Amino acid sequence: MASLQSRLEEFKRAFESGAPPYNAEHEAIKKMHRATPELKSSGIEQQALKIGDCAPRFTLFNQDHVQVSSSDLLRQGPLAISFFRGHW
Amino acid sequence: MEPEALQGINSEVRALGAQIVVLTPKLERYTRALHKKLNLTFDMLTDLHLKTAEQFRLVFTLPDYLRDLYKSFGNALDRLHDEPEYRLPIPARYVVDKQGIIRAADVNADYTIRLKPSETLRQLRMLTGSLAALNLRA
Repeated sequence: MASLQSRLEEFKRAFESGAPPYNAEHEAIKKMHRATPELKSSGIEQQALKIGDCAPRFTLFNQDHVQVSSSDLLRQGPLAISFFRGHW
Repeated sequence: MEPEALQGINSEVRALGAQIVVLTPKLERYTRALHKKLNLTFDMLTDLHLKTAEQFRLVFTLPDYLRDLYKSFGNALDRLHDEPEYRLPIPARYVVDKQGIIRAADVNADYTIRLKPSETLRQLRMLTGSLAALNLRA
C-alpha cells in the first residue's frame, strides 16, 4: 500500500483537479484553500495539548456499542490516540 | 485514510503490548459500518459532541462559508456527528505512556498532512523499551 502521505496527496490532487468523480468547483477549492491558513493562524495548534501534558481520560462507546475506557487501555500498555474526522 | 494507515502497523503495535484507538465525532450508527468496511482490528470510538477532543483542545468551528460546501459534499455534520454548530477536531495523533502522560503529539491544522504511522510505531517502541532491545541486538 502506498504511504499515508502519498495517498493524502493523491486524493488532494484528484479532488482539486475538478475532474470526475469529485467534480469540485473552482470556487469550492478556493474556499477550502482559504480555510486552512485561517485555522493555522487562529493558534489552535499551539493551544492543543502537548508532550508532557496529562492526557485527559475518556470512556466512550466503540463500534459495537461497548464502553471502552482509556484507563483500562493504559493499564495494558502505552496508547496511540488518533483524532479522526472522516475520510482524510 | 488515517485509520487504514494505522491498521497497517496494528499487529506490530499489539506485539509491543501497546494499542491504538481512533476517536471520531461520527455517531455510532456510522462507526459500525466504517469499522467493518475498513477491516479495523482496533476500536473506533465515538467522541460524542467532541467532549474528549475539547479536553485535548482540538476543537474549532467550521467557518460559515465552508458549512454549505460541506453540506453540498453530503458531509452534513449536524446529521453525521449531531453537530449543529459544525464543530470539528483538527487532526491529531498522540502517544500516551502507561502513566497517562503525553509522550508524542502530532497536531496539524492542515488535514492533508499526517505523521507517518511508522513514526508512531517507533515512539511506542521507545516507550516499551523495545527500541533499546533492538539497538542492543544490532
